[in-house]
Amino acid sequence: MTYRVNSPHVISETVGGETIIVNLASGHYFSLQGTAVEVWQGLERGESAETIGLELEHRYEAEEGEIEAAVKRLLEDFAGAELVVEDASRNGNNASSEALPSQDAGERVPFVAPGFAVFTDMQDIILLDPVHEVDTRGWPHASAGT
Amino acid sequence: MPLPAPEAAEGTLDNSIDELEKGFERAAQAAVELVERSIRIGDAHVRLRFAGVALAGQLGCAFEHLAHEETDEPELTIHVWDSTDSGTPPPPLPSLAPGSPRGTTVYTADEGRHFACRPALGQLSAYERATGKAWFWCSNAHDLPFWEPAAPFRQILHWWLPDRGALLLHGAAVGQADGGVLLVGAGGSGKSTCALSCLTSDLLYAGDDYVGVQIQPEPRVLSLFCSGKLEPDHAELLPHLPSPSFAGDGALEEKSVFYVAERFPERMCRGFPLRAIVAPRVQGVEPQVQRRGPAQVLAALAPSTLLQLVPARQEALSAMAGLLGDIPAFGLDVGGPTELIPPTIERLLAELAS
Repeated sequence: MTYRVNSPHVISETVGGETIIVNLASGHYFSLQGTAVEVWQGLERGESAETIGLELEHRYEAEEGEIEAAVKRLLEDFAGAELVVEDASRNGNNASSEALPSQDAGERVPFVAPGFAVFTDMQDIILLDPVHEVDTRGWPHASAGT
Repeated sequence: MPLPAPEAAEGTLDNSIDELEKGFERAAQAAVELVERSIRIGDAHVRLRFAGVALAGQLGCAFEHLAHEETDEPELTIHVWDSTDSGTPPPPLPSLAPGSPRGTTVYTADEGRHFACRPALGQLSAYERATGKAWFWCSNAHDLPFWEPAAPFRQILHWWLPDRGALLLHGAAVGQADGGVLLVGAGGSGKSTCALSCLTSDLLYAGDDYVGVQIQPEPRVLSLFCSGKLEPDHAELLPHLPSPSFAGDGALEEKSVFYVAERFPERMCRGFPLRAIVAPRVQGVEPQVQRRGPAQVLAALAPSTLLQLVPARQEALSAMAGLLGDIPAFGLDVGGPTELIPPTIERLLAELAS
C-alpha cells in the first residue's frame, strides 16, 4: 500500500529531529519523534509502506514482522487523522531491499515503535472561522448590495 | 459546508480589483474628509488612506507609534472605507451557504493578488503585489469586532510582509534596543500577560498578539500594533494597566483593548533584533526559564499563526522552522507574581548577550 501526504491540507516541518504536522482542515496538529519521523520522511519521499519498513529493518533490530506491523499501524493512524491518503497510482513503486546499503546486524539499534502526539486545542478556530478557498476563475459574487 | 455556485462566474480578479478601486474612489468623494497617514513598518513606508474620520479613528490608533513624515513613494498603500458612513454600496461580495459560521472567510488568489472576505461580518481585504495596493472595506466602521481596532489589516499584512522577507506571527514581543524575545503560544498561554507585565519595567514593548518578524539579514521583530488586550484576570494580575481605550462586547466574549502608545508612550518601540523565542505557560510558583527543543516551540507558534490567517502555506511553516533553527528556543513558566516576569526576561537577554 502506498500513501501520500494529504497536501495541501497537511503541512509539516522537521526541526531538531522532531516533526510538527498541521492539518489545516481539522485544526489538529501533531508531534512526531523517533522512528515516526523516519516514517513521515519516507512518505514525503513518496515511498511505499513496504519500502519504509525495509529501510527501518536495515537500521533497527527487531523481531521478525515487528517493524512491518508497526509501520502499518502508524500509517493507519495517519490515515485516520487524514494526514495521508491512499495513492493507488503509486502502489508497488520504489526501492527494494537490494537497493538499500547493507548494514551489519551489529550496527543496528533496538527498534522503538513509532508513535505521535495529537493536539486539538486549536480546532475551535476551524469550527468558528472556517476558510472556503475558491479558485481563480474569479471572485464568486452575488450582485452588489446583497 | 459547500459554497453555493457563483452567481457571476464570469467575474475575474481584474474586475474585482477595478470594483475595489471604484468603490474606494466613490467613498473618498463622498467623505467629509480623506484622512491620510504615513507609517513606517521596519524600513518600509506604508500609507493609510481612510475615506472618513470615523474609520481613521477606529483603525488608525493601533499604528500611532509608527507614524512617520514621509516624502518617498509608499511600498504599500491601504485604502480603507465603509458603506455606512460613506453612503456608498458595498463591493461585490461572495455568497455564503445558509448556516455558515459568522467568522467564515471566503478566499481567492492568483499569483500576485489575494482576496479574503468575511461576508457575515461585512469585511473584505485585498492586496495586489504588482502595484503595492491594498483595500479594506467594512460595512460599518462603528460596528467592528474588537480585534479589528486592536490589530487592523492583519490579513493584508500577512500577504504583504512575505514580499519583504518578513512574516506576520501570532506572538507578543518585549525587549531592549539591542535585542528582545518573541513570546509565542495559543490564547491563554500567558504571552499577553508576560508582555503587559513589562510595561512597568525598563523593557520595551512591540506588541502583545501579532508582530512582524524580518527574517533576513538578521531576525528582527517589527512592531505593528501598539494595542494591548485586557484579559478578565488582568485587573488583579496587572493592576498597573489602565482602563480600556475601548470596551469589547462581553456578550460576544470580546476583550477590551487599550493603546500602549497612549498610556505608556516611553515603552513603545518599533522593533529590535530577535534574540530568543519563548513559549510561556501559566505554571509554577515563580517565573522560570527552561531551554526547549525548537519543535516544541514551533508547535506553540505555528498552528496558532497559520490557522488564523489565509492562506496557510507550507512556505510559512518552513520559514518559522528556519527561524527556530537560527534562534534559541525557551519555555517560560509564568505562574506566581507577575512583577518577577520582567527581571526574568532581562536576565535571559543578559545571558544570551554574554
